[in-house]
Order: sequence, then C-alpha cells, then structure tokens
Amino acid sequence: MVEGSIVTIGVVFGAMFLGLILGVPIAIGQVYGKPFLRKIIAVYVWFFRGIPLLVLLFLFYFGFLPLLGLNLPAFTVASIVLGLISSAYQSQIFRGAILSLPEGQLKAARALGMSDFSAICNIILPQALRLSIPGWSNEYSIILKDSAVTYALGVPEIMARTHFVATRTYEHLILYATAGLLYLILTFAGTKALRILEEKVRIPGYATR
Amino acid sequence: MTNRDPILKIENISKKYGSKEILRSISLEIKKGETKVLIGPSGAGKSTLLQCINFLVMPDTGKVYLDGRCINSRKKKELYTYRQQVGMIFQDFNLFDHLTALENVSIGLIRVKKIKRSEANERAMQELKRVGLEEHANKYPAQLSGGQKQRVSIARALAMDPKVMLLDEPTSALDPELVGEVLNVIRNLVESGMTMLMATHQINFAAAVADEIIFMENGTIIEHGPPQEILFKPKNSRTKSFCSKINEIYGDMLT
Repeated sequence: MVEGSIVTIGVVFGAMFLGLILGVPIAIGQVYGKPFLRKIIAVYVWFFRGIPLLVLLFLFYFGFLPLLGLNLPAFTVASIVLGLISSAYQSQIFRGAILSLPEGQLKAARALGMSDFSAICNIILPQALRLSIPGWSNEYSIILKDSAVTYALGVPEIMARTHFVATRTYEHLILYATAGLLYLILTFAGTKALRILEEKVRIPGYATR
Repeated sequence: MTNRDPILKIENISKKYGSKEILRSISLEIKKGETKVLIGPSGAGKSTLLQCINFLVMPDTGKVYLDGRCINSRKKKELYTYRQQVGMIFQDFNLFDHLTALENVSIGLIRVKKIKRSEANERAMQELKRVGLEEHANKYPAQLSGGQKQRVSIARALAMDPKVMLLDEPTSALDPELVGEVLNVIRNLVESGMTMLMATHQINFAAAVADEIIFMENGTIIEHGPPQEILFKPKNSRTKSFCSKINEIYGDMLT
C-alpha cells in the first residue's frame, strides 16, 4: 500500500502539472482572447467539467487512444485524463484570480510600452498565481481523491492495492481504514506544503488570513 | 512659451461608449516644455481624453501626432514605442503590487528597454532619489503611503525618459496632507522643463504652473487660455460657474 501511495502521488503530480501548464494559457485565452478562441475554450471547459471522470477514463483508455493507434500504459492515461480535467478546473481558478486584479495593473504595464504578452508574463501572472494558491490547494485535494477512481483502469495506486489485499485477506475494515488514513495524510501534507508556499511568496504589506 | 512645433498634437479625437458620447472631436497641441492643465467637472471626459492620447482607450476617430509623426495605433510595434515616450500617471497610482518600489521603477527599463538589470536598478535608484524616496526603495506598494505611491509612479514614468507626461488627477486619491508632497514633485518637473498635460482639481496649483488651462465639459473643450484669463475672467458662463464652485469646495483664494 505504501507503493500504492507512490503511484497515487505520481498520478496526482502528473495531473496537477499537466493541469497547470494547460490551465494557465487556457485562462489567459479566456480572459484576453478573441471571441472565437473564448468559444473554443468554453467548449473545452464544458466538456471536461461535464463528463464524469470514470466515463472519461474509459473513453480515453478504451476509445480514443486505441483509435489513434496509441497504446499507453494505464498510469499515463490516468495522469493525462486527470490532468485534462484538472486543466479545465484550474483554468477557472486562474481566470478568477486574473479577473480579481485591478484593471489598472494591465493599463500601467501598457502605458510603459509593454506588449500585452510581456505584461501578462511580468505583471499579471506573478500576481494571479499567488492568488491562485488557495484554490489550487482545493484542486489538489480533489484530484487526490479522484485518483482513486483510476483503480478502474488497473492503475496500481492506493485503492487498487488495498482492494487487492482485501480480497485475499478479508481484513476489509483495517485495510480500507488504512487507505483512508493514507489519503488523509497525503491531503494534509499537500495542503500544508501549499500553505507554506503561499506564505513564502506572500507580498509584504498584505495581511494573511 | 516657444514658437517651435508642437511635440504632441491631437486632432479631432472622439469616443463613444454605446450611444453616450464621451469625447466630441477634441483637438489640442502642446509644445516642448509646456504644461497644460485640464479642468472640468467629473464626467467631462478628462480621464478618457488622457487615456485616448496613449491609446489605453482606443479613440473612435482622430489622430495623435508625436514630434510631427502620426501614430498608427494598429501597428503594435509603433504603438509600444510611442507609449514608451509618453509617461502616464494615474489617479490611483497603479503600482505593480508584487514588486518593490525599486522594481516598479526598473521593470520598464528591464522588460521594455531591455537594459541590463544592474544598470536599470541604478537608474531606478536615481529616479527614486529625484522624488525623495531612495530610503523606501525596497518597500512594497502596500507598505507605502498614497503620496509615496504616487511619487514612485512618477519615478516609474520618468525612468522611461518620456517626451511628454500625461497626469490623470494625480492627487485626487490622496489624503489632504499628502497632496503637497506630490505637487512638489510635479512642480519640480515643470521647472525642469518636462512637457505635461495634467487633469486636476487643484486650481491653485494649476494657476501657478500652467501655461494654459483647458476647461472641458460634456466631452468638449469649452474654453482655453492662460490661467489668469480662464480663472479670473472666463468668457463662458459655464467656466465661470465651475471655477466658483471649485473655489467654494477647495477654499482656494481665486477672487
């Protein structure tokens, strides 16, 4: 089960990372993009937020990927699917953070002669990402628990290992309680780490809550 | 002041929001070293006009000339280069909240002018000194008073070596006791020969530093001329009533 934890952590980190690198440009596109781009993004977000995780896992693992002739391991597919879903949710966290910044920040950057791209990279994102950390920690705890569903693809994560042992030993109570405890520990460790990060990058002069 | 060609000229700038006309064909020009002050009631279009001049708000029609060159705001490169030469001071400062005072001043040099970080910081420090804030270089905006923030924002604009500065009610968001320090900095700029267009309600200050006062209302220029003329013997009745109202509110000693 400890090995399972490592697989779980792998899936969650992969998903969070993919969600981050896709979620940021998606959020930027949705806030600053042309109407056509915004429409495409809206469909993307609707798709990945609207379909249950289990359906998407099967759809990709047994449907899309074989159709494309790709034979990826269950671990990879689980990370990608969770990552795509997370990118949809994370994009909304970032979008909210960007929109919460005063309009004057972008104006002041433009007034200096910055291109919009430079203004977004140097002025908007450094502030928006800081504001995103609390929402991000929420997203982490959700993905962590969603990762249990990837057991259905046979990813050897906590839930799969627990189930495997439980069917052999019949020690259901103690085993699933342990699994629950592992998730609790991982949630605590992750949110605590993000809390420390939040404090570390806090802009001096702003109150912490 | 001088008979040279105008450094900044705007021609027939108009702007509508929906069906509401904010600016109706505004034209004006400023020569090098001149200070012109925009006055007028809230909603007159002063802010929108200033923001149209450096295309933070896109005017519907009209032309802007810097040094005799018409600016094509559709060409991004040209627009960005133009904006570097036009310093902008906002009513609510708009300092970058995640950067120290020094970084606020140097970021334009580093990211826009592509100057080396060490040189940029040196230059930024000079500008902070000029506004009397070198001791606060490493503080963040949230740790500064309103007056200090506005002075940082002036330093930020100055660091870019602007040819013209646009000031949008630079003291309106400040507590009364902080207005003086900002006005002092602006007065120094006037004396150093900076070319400026400033919207303000500080009539006394305007009278002291302006080469010309421009009275705006409902998106048009009602009257313009030397301060003595506009403030003491305005031809237009609306200018007159505005000046006397301002006089009451701010307790200026105009009459």
